[in-house]
Amino acid sequence: MVTTIDEPRIRPEWLLGGAVTLLGAIIIVVVTLVLGSGEEEPVVAPADATDLTVGTCAEGLRQPHWVPDDVRRAVAECPADISAGIGRTTAEDHLGTWITYPLDGEVNAETFRGGPGPGWPADDVRAGAYHPASAILYVAYPDSTELSDELSGDTVTVEWQKLAESGGDARVTRVDNNGYGPVRVEWTDDVGSYLLLATVGRTPTGSAGPTVAELVRIADSVAAEDE
Amino acid sequence: MPSTRTWLQAGGGTVVAALLVAAVVQAMHSSAMWVSNDPVGECGATSGGAVVAAQNVLWAGTGLQPVDGSWDAQSEVATEAFQAYNGLPVTGCVDESTWVTMRALVVSVCDPEFECQGPDHRVRYWAPDGGAREAYFAENDCDWGSVVPPGVALSPVASDTVIALSRDAVTEIECGG
Repeated sequence: MVTTIDEPRIRPEWLLGGAVTLLGAIIIVVVTLVLGSGEEEPVVAPADATDLTVGTCAEGLRQPHWVPDDVRRAVAECPADISAGIGRTTAEDHLGTWITYPLDGEVNAETFRGGPGPGWPADDVRAGAYHPASAILYVAYPDSTELSDELSGDTVTVEWQKLAESGGDARVTRVDNNGYGPVRVEWTDDVGSYLLLATVGRTPTGSAGPTVAELVRIADSVAAEDE
Repeated sequence: MPSTRTWLQAGGGTVVAALLVAAVVQAMHSSAMWVSNDPVGECGATSGGAVVAAQNVLWAGTGLQPVDGSWDAQSEVATEAFQAYNGLPVTGCVDESTWVTMRALVVSVCDPEFECQGPDHRVRYWAPDGGAREAYFAENDCDWGSVVPPGVALSPVASDTVIALSRDAVTEIECGG
């Protein structure tokens, strides 16, 4: 009597199913890795804003120790850069140092698509949908003791605010266009004179840029931790 | 007893003198503060140095180009965008409140107490590519002028030339002494 014992077999459909599953898993892993590599590491605002200018020509300059959370980076422009850009001014020792703090966030991003013209829908333009990127400008004029000439105009308001850290006063100049418009904070101390400039911008969803209180706080932080 | 004619002559002389004084004061004020220049755009001048200055700021603030000193539809749209973002009434013409807003954006590149020669003030907007769009201005004893960067100016406006804020024509700023 012959007994036939079927040997265990791997059925072809199992092989096919396994291969498909394995291929799918590989694809998922690869796609995840590729997409993950494109994401930037979350940038955390530094504890001290002066860290933003380390390694630049503004390192060591008297500058803000605090900036709003929306600020992630700073771009320094020093007298030599400015003098070279102008091409005419030779008094490099009288030029200020400029630090630009761009603000992150969708509302602060530039929205221009092509140049201004018929391609910009009128309703969107009127709503403030086409606007530049928001940034805070800080200018330090070492060895200076004066402020710029005071602005005037029907929409200009000028007031002096106390800076708690330095004990000095800052001149806050607003072109107050219904709560929006440029804001200048200017002050002097025993080292130089300074300016902060930003625009409280009107957008379709609200406002862009820093608040006036934030600008004053930035100004006040310049004198902090100096000792 | 003075006659009526004498009184009229005296009154007329007083009026003329007052007008002359007002004109001198206005001229001095205009040379010191370019915000007080007459408006440009549809509500005022449509060409000239003031238009160059406004277009220069609009280049920095909205990307308007070219800067050619001639007011056009693009300039008007750029003005509307600038006005809307800055909370101004959207009219498309650079009236005094728009001038004042533009003026507040101008920052001295030199110590406030030091008089640099040449383009010593500028408007600077951060650009997404990491660069900036800039407009330069020059404050001389005689007048304010604007300086259009290369690549943005279009004839008859020449780049790197200080254009006086005169309504009459696009002229290079000239200061004696």
